[in-house]
Formats: sequence, structure tokens, C-alpha cells
Amino acid sequence: MGELQGLGAALSEAEKAGVEIIAVSPDPNVRSHEMAQRLRLAYRFVADSDLAVTRRYGLVHARGGEHGEDVPTPTTVVLDRDGAVRWLWIADNFQVRPDPDDVLQAVRAL
Amino acid sequence: MIRSGWLVALSLLVSAAAIVIYTQFLHVAAVRNNPEGYVAAFAIAATIASIAVALGRRWYAWTTLVVVLVLLLGSATFNFVLARIPEAHTTLRVGEQPPDFTLTDADGRPVSLAEYRGKKPVVLVFYRGYW
Repeated sequence: MGELQGLGAALSEAEKAGVEIIAVSPDPNVRSHEMAQRLRLAYRFVADSDLAVTRRYGLVHARGGEHGEDVPTPTTVVLDRDGAVRWLWIADNFQVRPDPDDVLQAVRAL
Repeated sequence: MIRSGWLVALSLLVSAAAIVIYTQFLHVAAVRNNPEGYVAAFAIAATIASIAVALGRRWYAWTTLVVVLVLLLGSATFNFVLARIPEAHTTLRVGEQPPDFTLTDADGRPVSLAEYRGKKPVVLVFYRGYW
């Protein structure tokens, strides 16, 4: 949750710049929605309950969950106006997240 | 001459500071993204405790050394082994368009990448819920 809090501060600024932030998680939507409201984040939370999209993008961390379930590899992708990937960050340690300033910089560089 | 008791206190202080900083300032990117920091702090604390034991073989110096070594081993195992994620074989390539998807948001509305194409940049965040 700290992740989205940290990201939230910087990304709300990004949102003003006309960027859409889509958060994809296997979390049930309602829970994600509650979290968005609590943290006042301007995200669009979408549910990838069966990890189909996460899997197609090759971002599944097999049996990485608390109970041995598959979970997403924390990843942040910046897509330009044409939908092409311009910046990509993939975690190699589940404690680490991209620096919000780096994400913002990638968005500004578009 | 440096007293063993002072070093014991310093060792515990360094360990406590590492725990407090990591748990209370996780929202600060510099703290969150440098988890080796707490491992390093426990290594420093263990070194100080070892010196304390060498200076005066008191029970509290030994106890501190054992506690700090447990913290060091535990945190190192967590950070360097348990928290590691194997390399993702992602299909995403910089400069290329990822395949489109349609997923539903909390209000049941469909969200797809295609609806932003030609209109708006998108930041896509894959996350695992509460962590």
C-alpha cells in the first residue's frame, strides 16, 4: 500500500498533465476501489482476477504469493499517446517499487 | 577507554533506528527502494556488539550480540533470498505496442488500452494488492 501512497502523490500531478493511470491487480475490484478512495488516488483500478493479461504480458511471478499462489511481478509501464512502450520498470525484489520521480520524468519526456 | 556498556547501547540504538526507519518511512522512495539499508545497519550493529563483547565479556554484551546477529541473518535472508523475484520473461518491449486488453473497473465499466490510443499517454501499474 505504501507503494500506491508514494506513487499517488507524484502521479496525481501526472494526471493533471493528462495521463491515464491504470492499476492492474488480481485484487477484487471493490477492495481496490476502497483503497483508491481511502488514498484519494486518481487511478482506474481494473481487476485481472485470473491473471490472464498479466500472464500474456509475461509478468507472472509463479507461486510468489503468501500462500504459494501466482502473483503479478510489480511492474510500471509508460505508454505514449500511440500506445507504444516508452519506459519499463520490472521489480526483482518485491519490496522495491519505481521511484515516483522516475515515473513522472518518463511521463514528462513523452 | 571505551566502555562495553556504551557500545551495547549504541548497537541496540542502531538496530532500533533501522527498524523504525524502515517501518515508519516506507512511503519514502529512498527508504523503500534501498532495503539493503536495514541489512547494512544490522551488520554495523553486530560489529559494534562484537567489539563490546571483546572489551568486556558481560552477559548483556553477549545477549545483544546474539539478538543483533539474529536480526542480521533474518533480514539478510528476507531481503536477498525470500524477497527476490525471478527474472520476468516479459513480452513488453520498449518502442512496441503491447497487446490490447479489456478488463472491468470497480464500477463494472470496461477499460481497454485501445480507447487511449491516439489520445492519451497511459501509465500501467501491475501490483499485488496490499504489498
